[in-house]
Formats: sequence, structure tokens, C-alpha cells
Amino acid sequence: MDVFLQSLISGILLGGVYALIGTGLTLIFGVMRVINFAHGDIQMVGMYLTYLLFVHAGIDPFVSVLITFPLMFLFGGLIQKVFINRVLDALPQNQILLTIGLGLIMSNTAMLIFTSDYKILTTSYSSGSVKLGGISISQPMTISFLITVAVTAALWWFLKKTDTGQAIRATAQDRDAAQLMGINVKRMSIIAFGLGSSLVATAGALIAPTYYIYPQVGAAFTLKAFVITVLGGMGSIVGAALGGIIIGISESMGAAYIGAGWKDVVVFALFLLVLLLKPSGLMGKSNA
Amino acid sequence: MKRTLVTMALALGLSGTAWSQALKIGVINSMSGPEAPIGENLTNGIKLAEEDLKKKGILLQIVWEDDTGKPQIAMSAMEKLATRDGVAGIVGPYTSACANAVSKLAERYKTPLLVPAAAKEEITRQGLKYVFRMNAPADVYAAVLVDAATGLGKPKTIAFMYENTDFGTSTTKTAKEYVAKKGIQVVADEPYPKGAQDYRSTLSVIKSKNPDLVFLVSYVADAILIMRQSKEVGLKPQAFLGGGAGYTTAQFATEKAVSNFVFSCTQWTDDVSWPGAKDFGKRYKAKFGKEPTYHAACAYESMMVMADCAQKAKGDKEQTQAALRAGKWNGIMGDVKFEDYNGFTNQNNHQMLVQQLFDGNYETVFPAKFATRKPTYPFPGWK
Repeated sequence: MDVFLQSLISGILLGGVYALIGTGLTLIFGVMRVINFAHGDIQMVGMYLTYLLFVHAGIDPFVSVLITFPLMFLFGGLIQKVFINRVLDALPQNQILLTIGLGLIMSNTAMLIFTSDYKILTTSYSSGSVKLGGISISQPMTISFLITVAVTAALWWFLKKTDTGQAIRATAQDRDAAQLMGINVKRMSIIAFGLGSSLVATAGALIAPTYYIYPQVGAAFTLKAFVITVLGGMGSIVGAALGGIIIGISESMGAAYIGAGWKDVVVFALFLLVLLLKPSGLMGKSNA
Repeated sequence: MKRTLVTMALALGLSGTAWSQALKIGVINSMSGPEAPIGENLTNGIKLAEEDLKKKGILLQIVWEDDTGKPQIAMSAMEKLATRDGVAGIVGPYTSACANAVSKLAERYKTPLLVPAAAKEEITRQGLKYVFRMNAPADVYAAVLVDAATGLGKPKTIAFMYENTDFGTSTTKTAKEYVAKKGIQVVADEPYPKGAQDYRSTLSVIKSKNPDLVFLVSYVADAILIMRQSKEVGLKPQAFLGGGAGYTTAQFATEKAVSNFVFSCTQWTDDVSWPGAKDFGKRYKAKFGKEPTYHAACAYESMMVMADCAQKAKGDKEQTQAALRAGKWNGIMGDVKFEDYNGFTNQNNHQMLVQQLFDGNYETVFPAKFATRKPTYPFPGWK
């Protein structure tokens, strides 16, 4: 029973961060219909930013989110303005090539600056935990989960209640109609890409204290982000959050009951099953 | 123009005669590529050996070859050294894959090859007459750790957790055979894919089996992650045994909160009582500005031995081989003698050491005659 509860709790806590990664990707896809293959690499930039702030300025990784979030918003917005906006009407394969290229530039630049050595952040709470009966709850993972919930709630409120948020949603629903209604869709795209980058960079900052950082760290997360968003339904924020938690739990349960080497098999089997039964994803609309 | 050609020819001729007095020894090492960070230690060790030999009056001409960590490049380097450079012997290559690929070529060209630090057992198990090895092979890694634990307590159960790569699975395979002989029961066997973020569920499965020993094989970053999460889930065996690699690095040692009291095995430490070991450590640090790893010591001693034999043989390959077979040395790696035993040929039956971490410092704790500190056993628990 302890093993079950332990796996469930670690799965949910891990899933929270996955959800944040997926939300960023789904937001970008929803508004622009561009699949961002540089997503994991933007997360990597966020992780190195967290690392620099921690090592050189002594700022706690969780507090540094306050700096990382706006900085990465500008970074993402700049990428959208300079690069992505130019290919919005291009063929999908050209858009994919562009984002892959941007990702390669980011990871190789990081390798030039930081070398390929693993960087590990050691905070006072890196291995801290709270005991609850027979199970232990990781302190840093709990904090990062709470931050994830807060960020997601804030995003929800922003998209539902503010004018800009509604304009973004309108752009996502129908780009041409939104433009006819007087919405500056290029600007909405910049905001959406900036937000997507901020979200994934925040996820990077949140896992920095418990994981390690190296220039190619993004690739694995890009793949995970796809699985999460496709599972949840491309473009659906609720779907991405749900997908993240589901992936987190199935990884954790798979590792506990079948073997750590098999956990990805569990994840992908589940993924295929969902695609077979509901091709548009859990929360997806069929025309998405 | 003519004159310059003449002087050039003269200069070449002169330098040719100067070189002919020096002993030609080849080195194959991973000096670039992904293995370069460790390869650098071997290069430094060999450079220090070159200096010491010069002091003894043995002049070396070392022919350096970079295998970039790739077996096929190591093989072409081997062919070049054996056929074009005419070296008396070769020290290297560093990685198991490269050393294994090169070994058969050494036999074909009848060129003595002294492997300084590659662990794969097969390298000296093929009955090759020209292939020698300085370091202890992979099976000793597990054996020495289990011996240390059984010498200190009465462990009855063991759990294995290792990355599902060549390195992880082969080390664990020999470890399992060894504990079976010792009557220790394997209660958990958990291979994992490296680079995962969350090992908590696997660790809690291991915790539920309550093993006396936990045997771990991982590279640097995962080693730190696994120990952090072991602390989190409150895994508390009698001892954590780290099978080399990630558990023997300076980066791991600095994570004092989680690395304290972890046992690991190594080929060499700078506090061991072998002649010249401490001095080597000191001089190495002064020259290169960092602590020597066991790779540096293995490479240093290999070059000393190879040069000694090549000098006795006056640069002749076959006589160098005979000298390696017949010789006996006692240097910074302790006693060195190349013997045939347990299916190995020309293998130095090297005594591996077990070290334990105390507040960020590695101290040799086993075997007792080399120990610099009493081991802490069983594991006293997390702070």
C-alpha cells in the first residue's frame, strides 16, 4: 500500500510540472497552429537562467520564477516577432524546420557557453521531505506543484476575464474573423508565444532544484510535451493539464509495478490507446 | 634553394639520429570527443611519467594518437603505430570498447599493448600474448565492495539498482554471480533508463523489501539524484555500495548531505600506502591544478612499466613482450605482475580499494592494510 501511495503522490507532483510544459505548447499551437519544436530548448534556456541567478546572485530557484517569467516572455515574444510571424502562412514543414533550427541554435549556444558538463543546483531543501505515515512527500516537488497550480489558475483567469485574454482566445478560434473584428492578430501571436515560453521556462525553473541541467536537456521534454498535448487534445489548456497529470502518474506507477525500464512503454501504450479511442485527444474538438 | 634543401636534409638527418636514441612508445587515448574529460587524466599521467623517466635517463619519444572515443579510429591508430612508426609498445586505449577492438590487432602486428584503465573483462580473456592490462577488470568492482560489506557486518539481502546500459548491466551481472556465491539473497533487481527525473517509486519498491545492502551503478548526475531521492523516501540499508563511475567523482563528494558514508570502489587513491602514491598525488596537483583520478595513476604506472621493458629490450617488440611477461614492479599502483589466472592472460591481479565518503572526503577503508580510516558501518541514517 505504501508503494502504491508513494507512486501516486510522486506521479501527481511530477505531473504538475509536465502539465505546465504541455500548457505552454498547447497555447502556442492553439493560437498559431504552429508546432513549436524548440519548446524543450526554451525550457533549457529557462533552466540555465535559473542556474545563473542561483549561482551568481544567490536567488532561490522558486523565487527566481518572478525574474525568469517576464524575461522569457520577452525572449519568446522576440522569437515570434522576428522569426515565427514570418512563416505563419508558410507550409507546415517549413514552420517545423524553423522551430527545429531555432532549438538547435539554442542548445548549441548553451554548449558553447556552459560546455556539456552537468550542472546541479544544491539547495537546502533539494532532498527535503515530509513524512506522512509510511510515505514521504518531497518538499521541493510540493512547492513546485503549488506554484504550477497558481500559475495555471492565473493563466485561466487571464484568458477568461481580461480583454487581451479574450482576444487571444478569439484569435485561436478563428484567426480571420478575429482580424475582421479589429484584433491585432500578429500582436496576439507575440503575446501567446511569449506566454508559452514563460510557462515552459517556469517549468524548467521549478525542476531545476531536483534535476540537472545540460544543453541537450530539452529534447526529452519536447517529446514529452507532445505526448501530453496530443493526449489532452491539441489546443486545449484543460486537456494539457489533465494530460500532464496522467503521464506523471502512469510513469510513476509503471516504474513501481512493471520496472523503471518499462515506464515509457506504459506511457506510450496509454497514449496509443487514447489516440485509437478518441483521436482528437481527451479534451480535443474534432476539428482542431 | 639548393642550400636550404641541403640544410633541411641535414637537419632531418641530425634529428633522425637524435630520435633514434630515444625509445619510441605509442599512446592511444581519447583526447577529444565525449570521453575526453576522463582521457585528459590519462594524458596527464603519461606526461608525468615521461618527466620521471627523463630524470632516470630514459629518453622517450611518445607518439600520441587520438581515438576520439571511437573503436574504428583506435584501430587505424593502432595500425599506424605498429606499421609506420615502428613503436616498441603501446599504452592505451582508454575506453573498453576501443581497447577491445584494438587488442586483436596488437596480436596480429606482434606489438605489445598495455591497457591502463579499461574494465571490460574480455580484453584479457582472449588468450592474446601481446595484450597486457594494468587495472583490475569489471568483476573485481563488485567483488571488492561485497567483500568489504561482508567483512564489516552480516548482510543477508541485497538490492540492485543500475542504469540499463552496457556498463550498468555487465557490472551488475558479475555482482549477482558473486553475491550468489556468498549466500546473499537478491531481493530487488531494478534496471532504470538513465536521465529519468523521478526514481522515487523504484526506490520505494526497494525500501519495501528492506535490503541490507543497496548496490548502485550510475553516472554522475543520476548518482546524485538517486541518493537525494533515497534520502527523501528514507531508504536506510546497512550500506550503500556505489559501483564506481558516478559515485567516485568530486562532484558527487561535494553533495555532502546525501553522499556521506557511501562506499565505492576504485583502482587507486592518493592516500594508499603504495610507494610513491602520495608523492604522485602531490606532484600531479601541483602540475595540473587538480586531484588525480585513478585513471591518471594507471596510465602513469603503465608508461613507467612499458618504458622499463622497452629499454631492456632496446626497442625490440618481441623482447619487450618477453620483458613484460617476466618482469615484476612495485610502484604507485602497488605490486604489478602480469599473470595468467581464472581465464585471464597477462592480467595484473590488481588489488582494488574500497573508499568511503566522510563529509565530502574519500578515505580508503578496505582492505584493512591500506585503510586510512575506520569505516562507518552500518549506515547511521540520514541527517
